[in-house]
Amino acid sequence: MTRVRTSGLAAVGVGLMVALAACGGGSETEAGGDEELRLWLAGTDTPQELRDYLVETFEAQNEGAQLVIEEQDWSGLVPRLQTALASEQQTPDLVEIGNTQSPTFTHAGAFTDITDMVDGLGGDQLLEGFVEAGTVDGDVYAVPYYSGARAVFYRKDLFEAAGVEVPKTLEEFGEAAVALQQANPTGAPNFSGLWLPGQDWYNGIAWIYSNGGSLAEQDGDEWVGALSSPESQEGLAQVQELFANATSAPKDADSAEPWVPFNNGEAAMFSAPTWARWSIDLPECNKGVATDDESEEAKALLAEQQACNEEKTGIFPLPGPAAGEPATVFAGGSNIAIPAKSGNQDLARNLLEIIFSEEYQTMLAENGLIPGNSEYADALGDDVYAEAALDAALNAKLTPPAEKWADVEGARILEDFFQEIASGADLEEASARADQLITDTLN
Amino acid sequence: MSAPRTSSSTVLPPVPPRAPIVAPAAPEAAVRRPPRRRPIRARLGPYLLLVPALIPIAVGLGYPLVRQFVLSFQEYGLAQQFGQPAEWVGLRNYAELLSDPYVWGVIARSIAFCLVNAALTMAVGIALAVLMTRVGRAARITLQVGLLLAWGTPVLATMTVWQWLFDSQYGVINWLLAEPLGAEGMRQHSWIIEPASFYFVATVIVVWMSVPFVVFTVYAGLLQVPEECMEAAQLDGANAWQRLRYLSLPMVKPVLLVVGLLQVIWDLRVFTQIYVLQRAGAPTRETHLLGTFIYSLSKEFSLAGAMATIMLVITLALTVFYIRRMLRDDV
Repeated sequence: MTRVRTSGLAAVGVGLMVALAACGGGSETEAGGDEELRLWLAGTDTPQELRDYLVETFEAQNEGAQLVIEEQDWSGLVPRLQTALASEQQTPDLVEIGNTQSPTFTHAGAFTDITDMVDGLGGDQLLEGFVEAGTVDGDVYAVPYYSGARAVFYRKDLFEAAGVEVPKTLEEFGEAAVALQQANPTGAPNFSGLWLPGQDWYNGIAWIYSNGGSLAEQDGDEWVGALSSPESQEGLAQVQELFANATSAPKDADSAEPWVPFNNGEAAMFSAPTWARWSIDLPECNKGVATDDESEEAKALLAEQQACNEEKTGIFPLPGPAAGEPATVFAGGSNIAIPAKSGNQDLARNLLEIIFSEEYQTMLAENGLIPGNSEYADALGDDVYAEAALDAALNAKLTPPAEKWADVEGARILEDFFQEIASGADLEEASARADQLITDTLN
Repeated sequence: MSAPRTSSSTVLPPVPPRAPIVAPAAPEAAVRRPPRRRPIRARLGPYLLLVPALIPIAVGLGYPLVRQFVLSFQEYGLAQQFGQPAEWVGLRNYAELLSDPYVWGVIARSIAFCLVNAALTMAVGIALAVLMTRVGRAARITLQVGLLLAWGTPVLATMTVWQWLFDSQYGVINWLLAEPLGAEGMRQHSWIIEPASFYFVATVIVVWMSVPFVVFTVYAGLLQVPEECMEAAQLDGANAWQRLRYLSLPMVKPVLLVVGLLQVIWDLRVFTQIYVLQRAGAPTRETHLLGTFIYSLSKEFSLAGAMATIMLVITLALTVFYIRRMLRDDV
């Protein structure tokens, strides 16, 4: 018994020492490593090839310096940045951040003023709304990294069976969705003309924007919710019509994985960023390749499967109110900025220049991302996906560049609001309530 | 994030019920002992042994609690996090929160949710524990294994399974209701879109996950009830219900009090289950309980700190009756 106790205490002691040693070791390397530059990338969107290029190029241009790329998960990124960016020891030297999240940090003084660099990085060619989201009082703190806009995927065979053409205007789009829903070519019990889940405000706000409305407007020093404006109401009425007659999607679902019902033959259309093409997997095309099978044969079969899926699927940018013009959709994407507490400001600027070099921007485009500098967007290619992505992105718009916009998203006000609309709530009342919440949150 | 966790875990220390008995008992014994002074090392020994426990408590609980308390009297948001001086605002944060009817709604919902869940958990748990004392070995082991699995599964894994069960598009529950039972209207039913129905699902999940602990603890207590007492009562003509009501339960009352207290504390600070269900598509604002509400304030650290302090006070108010009663019974 005694022996057990002693060893237990010893274990605690050793544990404490290890913990202390670990802490000490950590801060030492960071303090002594001023030649080490840390870049935080969010999510897996930046392909490995591009990361390798950054490391090689940076280390070749900056003798003795080392670039470490650390990948951060999108979920929980804001709280992590709240703590990391506030500490000189923990802060990364360059950081990627969601475009709608950047105002929160630029206003808090978390980033370095890089207005003097903007011309060199691309000037007016930089994606406009993104620069705006990174600007406070005319000073630029964050610049666009990449963008990805949403486009509509559709099943060609279902369009044919229902006698529906690819719509040319927003109004035609609504009619097509209703017609598809009524025709229900696959006979599925929960068929949707357009997959539009109740909480999917990312797609829903396209109707607000396209009708000239917005989520919130600046009024002097204040931000005011703008869902009740006549323009927004017009768009919202169209969305409510879609919820009522063009979709059977659950009211308690969000924009995640819209391809699942599409693949199941339960939806004729869905709207998503263009990389969703890799998730389309129609049963009639599936070759039954095991996910861990890496043989040449399997690769050939998968390529065949992908070709089959893309043959049966079409894509178009959501049309706008007038024919020939794409709708104003929500622009997803991210910004990049230098944390103010970073001790490696000069090196971070060097890396930023590499990221905005022609070569790197072209590489982003070749990987299907719309690059921060729109001059190089041509490299996206000219297949239907690239064209739809570009058309949609040309007109895309961000959420309002208000300091506390991230709080609106954090409080899930728009999820709740669109869910109410989907459940058939009175538009005016629901909008007034949501406007009040947005106004309270933003000021 | 850290705010709710801090406040709720700080409530835990009063819990160990046995500590108060040991403390008064020891000095008494010391007084009766002949006044031979023990060497200083021996007298310090017990205190030294406390040090490893006290340091983590002071660092892990004391510091966040003090910080939370201080923050709740300041204006402290993101800008302060990045170096702007924090301004002292006195009781403004508290006034702002307590003058908002929405906050009172959250508090009322949380207390109701907590009491209903704690009561249900205790009722089901005691019933199962009694059942375990009555059934044969095979049935008991099956029950125990089942309960252990329910208790041992990580909460997020459990939540994923429950979410799938109640999913409105592909969920098993809706399928069961629609296909074999013929309730066609339930095929696409959303279980979490109405607050009442949301709390029903949350209650099922929370009770399901808390029951095993109650069953095992109460079962262990029931095993300690002397066989002779039960036999004597039986000879006196007490039926099974009377023996349980007037003999077994009073004998395990201390256990029931402690377990009940823990349930109240745990159910008041419930976070994970509510948070995951909200993310699954429930209307967030209408379904907030204290835990998730504080988390939603987390960008305004000072407001979150004030709310967490209010929650601490509520927890203490809810449990003070229990704790006093427990102490009195023990002495």
